[in-house]
Amino acid sequence: MREVFVIGVGQSMFGKTPEKTVPELGSQAVSEAFDDAGLNPRDIQVAYACRGRYGRITAQSILKLFGLTGIEMINVENACAGGLTAVRCLWKDIATGIYDVGIAVGVESMTTLPTAGQLLRAGEEDLNAQLGMTMPGLWGLIARRMMETRGFTREDLAYVSVKNHRHGCLNPKAQYQKELTMEEVLNSRMIADPITLLQCCPQTDGAAAAVMCSKEVAKKYTTKLVKFAASTLGTGDFAYGDYDPTVLSVEKKLAQKAYEMAGIGPEDLDVIELHDAFSPEEIMHYECLGLCDPDNCIDFLRSGATELGGKIPVNPSGGLLSLGHPLGASGVRVICELTLQLRGQAGKRQVPNAKVGLAQMLGGVETGLEVAAGSIHILTI
Amino acid sequence: MAEKVFFREDIFTEGAEGTILLAHKCKSCGKVYFPKVHFCPNCFSVELEEIPLSRKGTLYTYTITYMSSSHLEAPYANGFVDTPEGARVFAPLAMVEDKPFKIGMEMELEVCPLWREEGKEIIAYRFSPA
Repeated sequence: MREVFVIGVGQSMFGKTPEKTVPELGSQAVSEAFDDAGLNPRDIQVAYACRGRYGRITAQSILKLFGLTGIEMINVENACAGGLTAVRCLWKDIATGIYDVGIAVGVESMTTLPTAGQLLRAGEEDLNAQLGMTMPGLWGLIARRMMETRGFTREDLAYVSVKNHRHGCLNPKAQYQKELTMEEVLNSRMIADPITLLQCCPQTDGAAAAVMCSKEVAKKYTTKLVKFAASTLGTGDFAYGDYDPTVLSVEKKLAQKAYEMAGIGPEDLDVIELHDAFSPEEIMHYECLGLCDPDNCIDFLRSGATELGGKIPVNPSGGLLSLGHPLGASGVRVICELTLQLRGQAGKRQVPNAKVGLAQMLGGVETGLEVAAGSIHILTI
Repeated sequence: MAEKVFFREDIFTEGAEGTILLAHKCKSCGKVYFPKVHFCPNCFSVELEEIPLSRKGTLYTYTITYMSSSHLEAPYANGFVDTPEGARVFAPLAMVEDKPFKIGMEMELEVCPLWREEGKEIIAYRFSPA
């Protein structure tokens, strides 16, 4: 397998922009990624695009705006893990030598979907969805269980949102660049008890893109060689009987695999970007990624370890909670953020001297599965 | 009176005390599955037997949702209920004023109309504090 590098990243402004079409949003990110790489779009050999909902020939409709036709273009969907799935597909093409340089783009216009403003749920025919299972509802069930078994308080859950909104103030592309107090988070409208409105990621329009290539190509364009030390993608385990929804077995397995691929452990990470669609979710990932044990997760959370300036900053970008969550874009966006962090180009939210970063995404609720898809990537410089 | 229809055909059975939930038990490893499965996700055996689930169970976790879903109007409660057979059943929960939800509390099955579609009452299931 060949080494794979990121040489260009781009991101549109994240926010509520129903007047912008999907190709418009996507082209903002792609244009920035090409400029960042210093690469002529005509040199791209393969493209993957992800759009979570109602996607159709997304790659072609964006990349034709850059004069790109003829090459292999593939459109993928994997719920909230779709963006990292596009990255993973491109990684495989380059690692196995099929292509030398390509682009992964993720995009979503959430405000123009038929589901805009509703609680997201699984497919209409899904048994649990018919009986009221929604995304915030699932995390409400998990959070309640975490409170019971780990002793988390409502304040502990809300803290994640306070932290990530504080980080988001430092990110000029975040939808909400506004600090929130603990009281504001706790006193906002209840959505799925114990999760309040300000502990839910907003529905957001946006796009992100990453140009990836072999070492030979990367060396022509940059001296800041941001490398994929690990790339993983997996499917959730069956969820029946005695399954514990507060422990994601697929994520624990993927984390172990990623650490093995990279030859590191969780203690070697400098920065993490992960799927914080709802505040309790971020806490569960601390455990699944091995940052702490279930026994000491409360102490770990309360120590402030995951804040900027802490031992292992999590979501310095502001995360989905303050940046917003365009479903298909977020998985590519986390790769963009880590790349900026490792290059030392993350501005006010820079984690000093970051050398190793982990990106995690999770997606899809379906009766009988703990989750549909999970993906973990590790980048190093 | 509105016509009543079951929202799914394959998950109910008639017991001595009325309609109850139907699960699968693996004849090879003994694991219990609700809803029913095509094979055992634990040992991959296709030797499955249908077993009725007890009406009673204990509350594993719960939430109350304050925005309406496709069929349920806000506020509505959901939870997982563990039955003695080993199934962990996701279901709507009935909210009873003087019986606030508590993990571990005893719950009882109700098979009853939960919403309406095209003038018909749709019969599904929920659990209520016992």
